Amino acid sequence: MAKTFLYNNHIKLGAKMVDFAGWEMPVQYTSIIEEHNNVRNNAGLFDVSHMGEIFVTGKESLTFLQILVPQDVEKLIDKKALYCQFTNEKGGIVDDLLIYKLKENNYLLIVNASRLEADYEWLIKNKSNYDVRIDNKSDIYSMVALQGPKASDILSEIGIKKENQPKTFHIDEYKLLNEDVFISRTGYTGEDGFEIIIKNEKVSELWELILEKGKPYGIMPIGLGARDTLRLEAAMSLYGNELNENTTPVEAGLTWTIDKDKKQNYIGKNIIQNQLQAGTDKRLIAFKMTDKAIARHEYPIYSDSKEIGYVTSGCIAPTIGQNIGLGYINNKNLKINDTIQIMIRNKLYNAQITDKNFIKKHNKGN
Amino acid sequence: MAVKDNILCSKSHEYIYQEGSNYFIGLTDYAIEQLGDIVFVELPEVGSSYTKGEIFGTIESVKAASEIYMPVGGTIVEINEQLIEKPELLNENEFDEMWLIKISSNTYEEDSADLLNYDTYKEEAE
Repeated sequence: MAKTFLYNNHIKLGAKMVDFAGWEMPVQYTSIIEEHNNVRNNAGLFDVSHMGEIFVTGKESLTFLQILVPQDVEKLIDKKALYCQFTNEKGGIVDDLLIYKLKENNYLLIVNASRLEADYEWLIKNKSNYDVRIDNKSDIYSMVALQGPKASDILSEIGIKKENQPKTFHIDEYKLLNEDVFISRTGYTGEDGFEIIIKNEKVSELWELILEKGKPYGIMPIGLGARDTLRLEAAMSLYGNELNENTTPVEAGLTWTIDKDKKQNYIGKNIIQNQLQAGTDKRLIAFKMTDKAIARHEYPIYSDSKEIGYVTSGCIAPTIGQNIGLGYINNKNLKINDTIQIMIRNKLYNAQITDKNFIKKHNKGN
Repeated sequence: MAVKDNILCSKSHEYIYQEGSNYFIGLTDYAIEQLGDIVFVELPEVGSSYTKGEIFGTIESVKAASEIYMPVGGTIVEINEQLIEKPELLNENEFDEMWLIKISSNTYEEDSADLLNYDTYKEEAE
């Protein structure tokens, strides 16, 4: 199993380690609920070094990226981030990712650890004659996420004053520990926060520094367990749960991310355009359990005694004290506030369809 | 703790100890620690009967649901009601307070033959 350059830091902190996408990662340090609440109330530091960093550079970078995603990369201004999906010929999602425009003809792609290999192959396969260079620098860079309402204060303490910090969904280059780093104001928690990309050799020192300077602000290291409950409360999709190669962004409820008027062709465009107009039978819904039970990945969803879909993610939502979930249903008629049932250990339990605002998010801005 | 000296454990991490004519069944401290934050417990109805190895309940942590098995056959005499409302009490790990079910058993002698004492169980678990 692969280890990040923060492995020893995790062991020193007494983390419980698990296998995630071939990486030995911390699932929790103290308690998932305690860590979860601390990110909502104070701040948390995550090791996300397993994620992939791919640089796309060269004269035809923009044209090349435009054929890969339903979003309009041309609208992306310098130092800004765009949430995208690579789509295949069927409109299915190869991966979801952030594309950062560092400058003209220079893009940074942050992709899921579990999909890095598939993504890199996808890029190479579609490169054909485009004048671009594709550099997978995931082996050189580590990444940490600093998230929570105190994240900006803590970043200021380690030397990036508030007035110089990137704005929401922006990225910039900074010096930290005498090293060039990228800092973006993005995350996967629904809170304000930053992701810092730094060379492997320096990440351990950075980790220690942030925990030290963050102490007065109540910072805690956060494992993958709380990362999952935080993103689910924020109704953010996880590749492998909500997203896969047989699910389109329209089915996945990501229509809001797609540029309906994008002129350029992209892989899967016909199918996605048709779905945008006609809608789809399969669609992602959010729900709250009204009976006392927890829905889990792959539990069947019922309506009127008929199986209509399955749960993709479910957990207790520590912030609101309710059991929540996401799932796919093949049904056009059910709407928000309608009752569905989840099959749990051969018994049906009631749940209510809700909008995707389980919590009030604090990561939205300019 | 005194209870630890008198318990027998199954490989699926349940413990059992005798008190009077009944038996208390719970989850070992090792299992609780592995599960992490416990957020849900489902226990059987009083009066229902199970054979050794049958599933009698479910315990859920934030991450996952796990089934709980009868270490010996028997009939449910009482369940630990406070855990239904406050499953997080299980994380406090006191063997004599955090039992799950109390049973009567006619088959304890033969059913308990393959159970392990706490020290041997702990060695095998770790």
